[in-house]
Amino acid sequence: MSLTQALSSALSGLNAAQTGLSLVAGNVANANTPGYVRKTATFVSNATGTTGSYVQVGSINRVLDQFVQSQMRTESSGAAYADLRANMYSQLQSIYGTPNGTSSLESAYNNFTSTLQALTTSPGDRPTQIAVVSAAQRLTQTLNQMTSGIQTLRSQAEQGLSDDVTQANDSLQQIAALNQQLAQSPQQDSATAGLLDERDNYIDKLSKLMDVRVVKGDNNQVSVFTTSGVQLVGTKASTLSFDSHPTVTPQSQWSATASQRTLGTITLTSPGGTRTDMIATGAIRSGEIAGYLDMRDTVLTQAQAQIDQFAAGMSTALSGTTTDGAAATVGAQTGFDVNIGSMQDGDTISLSYTDNATNTQHKVIFKRVDPSALPLSDPSVVGLDFTGGTASVISQIQSALSGSNLTVSNPSGTTLRIVGDGAPNLADVNALSTTVNTTSLTGSAALPFFLDGTSAYTGSYTSSGAESVGFAGRISVNSALVTDPSNLINYTSGLSASDPTRSNYIYDQLTSASHDYNPSTGIGTTTLPYGGTLASFMRQFISQQGEAANNATGLKQGQDVVLSSLQQRFHDASGVNIDQEMSNLLSLQNTYAANARVMTTVKQMLDQLMQMGV
Amino acid sequence: MTISAAGSTAALLSQRLIDMRSQFDDLQRQLSTGQKSDTYAGLGLDRGLSVSLNALSAALGSYNTTIDNVMTRLNVAQNALTAVGKVSSNLGSALSQGADSPNNGNTTQVSAKSWLQQLVGLLNTKVGDRYVFSGSATDRPSTATYDQMINGDGAKAGLTQLISERNQADLGASGLGRLTVTNASATSVQIAEDSATSPFGFKLNAISSNLSNATMSGPSGSPSAETVSFAGVPSAGENVTFTFDLPDGTTSNLTLTATTDSPPGANQFTIGGTAAATATNLQTALTTALGTRANTTLKAASTVQASNEFFDGDSSNPPQRVNGPPYDTATSLVVGTSANTVIWYTGDTSGTARGSATARVDQSLTVNYGTRANETGIRNVVQSAATRAAVTVSSTDPNGPNFTSALDNRLSGHIDGSGGVQTVTDIEAELAGVQTSMQSIKANHQQTGNTLGAFLDQISGVSKVQVGTELLSLQTRMQASMQTTALLFQTSLVKYL
Repeated sequence: MSLTQALSSALSGLNAAQTGLSLVAGNVANANTPGYVRKTATFVSNATGTTGSYVQVGSINRVLDQFVQSQMRTESSGAAYADLRANMYSQLQSIYGTPNGTSSLESAYNNFTSTLQALTTSPGDRPTQIAVVSAAQRLTQTLNQMTSGIQTLRSQAEQGLSDDVTQANDSLQQIAALNQQLAQSPQQDSATAGLLDERDNYIDKLSKLMDVRVVKGDNNQVSVFTTSGVQLVGTKASTLSFDSHPTVTPQSQWSATASQRTLGTITLTSPGGTRTDMIATGAIRSGEIAGYLDMRDTVLTQAQAQIDQFAAGMSTALSGTTTDGAAATVGAQTGFDVNIGSMQDGDTISLSYTDNATNTQHKVIFKRVDPSALPLSDPSVVGLDFTGGTASVISQIQSALSGSNLTVSNPSGTTLRIVGDGAPNLADVNALSTTVNTTSLTGSAALPFFLDGTSAYTGSYTSSGAESVGFAGRISVNSALVTDPSNLINYTSGLSASDPTRSNYIYDQLTSASHDYNPSTGIGTTTLPYGGTLASFMRQFISQQGEAANNATGLKQGQDVVLSSLQQRFHDASGVNIDQEMSNLLSLQNTYAANARVMTTVKQMLDQLMQMGV
Repeated sequence: MTISAAGSTAALLSQRLIDMRSQFDDLQRQLSTGQKSDTYAGLGLDRGLSVSLNALSAALGSYNTTIDNVMTRLNVAQNALTAVGKVSSNLGSALSQGADSPNNGNTTQVSAKSWLQQLVGLLNTKVGDRYVFSGSATDRPSTATYDQMINGDGAKAGLTQLISERNQADLGASGLGRLTVTNASATSVQIAEDSATSPFGFKLNAISSNLSNATMSGPSGSPSAETVSFAGVPSAGENVTFTFDLPDGTTSNLTLTATTDSPPGANQFTIGGTAAATATNLQTALTTALGTRANTTLKAASTVQASNEFFDGDSSNPPQRVNGPPYDTATSLVVGTSANTVIWYTGDTSGTARGSATARVDQSLTVNYGTRANETGIRNVVQSAATRAAVTVSSTDPNGPNFTSALDNRLSGHIDGSGGVQTVTDIEAELAGVQTSMQSIKANHQQTGNTLGAFLDQISGVSKVQVGTELLSLQTRMQASMQTTALLFQTSLVKYL
């Protein structure tokens, strides 16, 4: 009978309207839930009998723009990377202080040179001597504080990596778990949609930590890879682990070899038990984790190297006595002789020559080092072992200069002679000099003004690495100067109270003498290290850091704009629009009312039928 | 900060408002601090330049402080030098007066004492803790005290003692200036030094004469001697002139004129009846004249030489003294020691006086402005005053007036700047030159400083007007944005259901 048919059709209509209403309610309720994707229902009509049909909820759909979603994930990795770097860079900037502010390095340095200037005018004046020592202490404290600031940031990065790895693991586990749940409920119902939403949410979280690629499989399954192709989640999740090193010092460094590592590395253990070092393989290229790695291992290390080199430059400028080589001629070959007899660990021989074939300037720095430090990992310095005597040193220099067309010889005693090639004119020696550090307060105008902890700084290399690493954190003013500032003047006994020799030397060395800086600072190259005054070096690195921080902020702002616009697009496509929901609500209300009306009508008709029968 | 994954409209809108708010805060900071940024990152491309300019600006500041500091020192030195100059001119006029009108000179001695005291005070002038006239030995007074200088200090001999020793050595026991006058033969007179090596007393330089019937010989021999041999008698009015070198490097001519008067006047000898009688008369007259000359001119020269030695001395190079006692027969000088002789100048002596204090007043310019009490100009004034103060002449000494006159004459020659010798005025002029150049450098620095300041301001500073305008416009935008946001949320279908 078609009346009962109509009744059941109306009932299915009421049901459908209720389902629609519950979806509207759910959408409106979740309008502000991050990651919530608008749900819609698909209704299908089913024919019944000969004339009737009723409505059925076919499936609950998520209105999802997958293209925007995948783009958004890529950009969200990029944005998280840029954000983190900008954030850490801005913290790093605060370590350099406000431009010319009292806490800034430049102000401390300028203050130091100003007091030295005053000392050259009044060498014998005790208050001026004391002022120089205090200004030097302020400078060393600034360097110490900057070091601890930079290392705190590195330690934050280490901690951040540890947290991020935990968070990433959580996401990986959840994604795998959700994959399994989804495999068990293949229907397109609202429970499935909810699970999909949740899984997307975890993938989104993961994409902020690292750059991921999501591959969809059948049955609502996904596999997650890094963009470099390492699988993170398949049917099961791999596990990330991080061997955190809580104490971070300037010497701390990451190494692929576990025994040499003093900073943590990220290891991926696949469900099958294969272990991969994610840092050594460069598997993580973006996201917060890549940001932390970049800061910890590159940016902050370089910032530390810059102030270390500044501190080392300042220290050796005052303790080192540079002796230029004497001109030497062998036939048509010209060059220089230097005496290397009095060199101690950390003392240097610097050679500068021109390769005429390519017209390139080269600067080679030889350094006497502890034999256990050889070979040096630092490509910009040639380490020399003096324990084998002059002949051995000469042959070490020869082998370091092989292919340079220069002739290295030992004409007599402890003299080192380096000459060009003469007639073929392939190479010319421009300069050769030695720099010898003094550890004594008397004897020459040079003095150990700054100490490394309690001993003199030599700039040597030992089996544990370069002494310069982290020197900015250990530099201190020689306590003999603190207790007796007149050592700033008295380089030998019997001097006049206002003898300006040493004060002039100190001032000139710090303000106008040129020094070389290790290219690990990112300034200068291995073949031609940056040479300049301390002030110009400081200018270089402050300006380089400022520029880098500015770029990081610029990158962040750019990423933010891209991400915001993608989010806007995603939201427009997949988010909840209240107006739309409200109009749906109205229409559903009408449908419901209409279906109810049909039912009333059917009931009335049935009633009439019943009365007829009475 | 980017908000999480798929945010809602509300989150996106509020993010924009937050961005504007932080922009607002930054502008407010700029307005209150006047600085474009509180990090190097925010300074823009010129941040490196700003570091250099700040360094330059700090250097200029310290150069200016140095200039001010050195100016003060120089002003003090100049004031002291002006006062020294005044003493010098007072002393000079007193000395030339004394040289022109011989008297026993006690008044001059009294004045000289007070002038020397003034000089010692002036030369030990301090600026702060710094003695101005000690060269680089700024922690020590530049001179010994008045009393030490004149009277000695315990075992250390002072100027008075040195003069006395030297006078004894130069005059000799006989008071003839270490010469002997004899009749070598009946008809000749010989004048001879007592030692070939001694630096003391008269030194024979030359002899000349227009005496008839007489031959002159010498100076020759060792010890050096001169001889006048008479073959007959000379005529009246003819004369013989002996030229002596004096210890201070001056010379003295002693002319004896033949006369028929008996007894002869001063510097005359009586022509005797025979050559032998004339020779005897000449010997007598020469002895008398030498005695007088020794107690006046020689003594003055001896005194000046003693003070020359005394004032030539410094710590690294103590004064030469007569090798004695006994002094009147001494034949050599000996270098004193700082244990037995007062060293009048106690400052430093290495290098040049000006170079003993240097100041960097510019990147490439160093000025030398040191002063020392032993610079010739100053030292000569001190020496003249001290010598005059050290010499006491008895009012009963018949040679007194001529001695002081000879002394005053010599001493005034020291300080009148004759012969291109440095005077106090010369030192003042040199220092004034330094002051002038520093003033012009300071003016340069100020100009550079102004330019730098303006440039730095351009890099790191903000224009208040600009920031104010930006603030206003941002405020308008924020208000508009807030209003439209509110409006957006109000115009929802929900309201109309």
